[in-house]
Amino acid sequence: MNIIRAILLSIILITPVKANTIYNLIKIPNLEIYEINTKNKLKYFYAARPFRLGTQKNVVCSNPSKKDLEIKYKTIYKNLSRYSYNFLKRINLKYIVMCENLSISELYTAGIPDNIMKTLILDIKFNEDYFERVIHHEIFHIIYLQHKKIFSDKEWIKFNNPKFKYAECSTCTKDIGLERYEETKGFFTEYSKSTASEDMAEVYSHMISLKKEEINQISNIDPVLNNKISYIKDKIKQIDNSFIF
Amino acid sequence: MIKKIKASISEKIILIFLISLGIATFGTYFVIKNECLFVKNFDPKKITFVKPNNIAIMNAPCGNVIIELYPNVSPKGVERFMSLIRSNAYENIAFHRVIKDKLVQAGDLEFGKKGSLNYGKIGNGKSGFGTIKSEIDSGFNYTEGSVGLVRTFKNDTEDSQFFITLQDEPLFEGEYTPVGKVLYGIEVLKKIKNQRNSEYVLRPDFINSFKMLN
Repeated sequence: MNIIRAILLSIILITPVKANTIYNLIKIPNLEIYEINTKNKLKYFYAARPFRLGTQKNVVCSNPSKKDLEIKYKTIYKNLSRYSYNFLKRINLKYIVMCENLSISELYTAGIPDNIMKTLILDIKFNEDYFERVIHHEIFHIIYLQHKKIFSDKEWIKFNNPKFKYAECSTCTKDIGLERYEETKGFFTEYSKSTASEDMAEVYSHMISLKKEEINQISNIDPVLNNKISYIKDKIKQIDNSFIF
Repeated sequence: MIKKIKASISEKIILIFLISLGIATFGTYFVIKNECLFVKNFDPKKITFVKPNNIAIMNAPCGNVIIELYPNVSPKGVERFMSLIRSNAYENIAFHRVIKDKLVQAGDLEFGKKGSLNYGKIGNGKSGFGTIKSEIDSGFNYTEGSVGLVRTFKNDTEDSQFFITLQDEPLFEGEYTPVGKVLYGIEVLKKIKNQRNSEYVLRPDFINSFKMLN
């Protein structure tokens, strides 16, 4: 009995120290280590308790169940393992935070990228159908934020039909469908039409998720997407010439 | 005629108990007062080092801390650290940030000097030599006693402040520029004054001296 008590006590005493280290590094409270010994040196944390972030405390996320975490970690790990340590260093990503029901100002979101803190927060309960692709979508936001000078919204907009206009912001539209269009017409999804950077992220995530033949086929049929795909490929190669789509 | 009264056994026991209690109280007072009593003070002259030119000796309130510097791991970081040690810049500088059993931090040359401590700004001071580039790609393993350079949230902001880990810190790998490791005297660092409710220490301990062996 005493041994059990001692073990419980040691867990209680050890945990906050680890949590403090994480907090000191990325300023997100209530996190614990899930896995830190990975090949590309990504460190995976999970929310042990719900947390709130931001000056307005408007970013909210809950702690996931152990079972959900176990399942989704494998998916996240598999998808992020395709990124090399060198690439991750160039885009300034090191920490992955896994939590549940992530929201900003009460709007649910799949992820929150923060290149300054080298962190990507992922909602592991996000729509199962698009979960894997969305991981890469969020990765693109990190790339975009870290290499703002490389990407030009103005150049990107020129690829579209001159009559087309993006929404004012990604949350300023109700058209946020993530299902891939059968007939693309310059856009992979409804959400692509929200803003230029979201469009870029959608193109990038499809380039990563779809088979090479599928991408080639789309490029051959859709000249607008062909330009967009070439643009993303070119920019990513500028960041890391060894990157393979 | 005065009759000699013999003490009974119980009186003798009480007397022995009181004497023992007195000794214990007196002894405990000294043990509590002298927190360095059981801390071994290492004499670098009595130790043979493989790379004596890379050995630095910091003298803290409870004794010597012997550190091996790693110029091969972080050339620029060690160069800066060594030059500050050689110029005696760290003498009388406070251990201003101490987290019990986790880490000690010192080296604020601007606001951490004994006699002119600035509690409002401590931890934000500069050395006057500018910042240096982070050297974080070596895969250095931050085990207990690792010495690293402090930086702000941004890389390439290392200056004069450094920290020493008092436990293994695997998450520090790739975050902070490592400059060395404590070979002897980690217990000395564990006795550095800390504050229970704050990482920043009021009336902190100071580095008495910090010198290179050669």
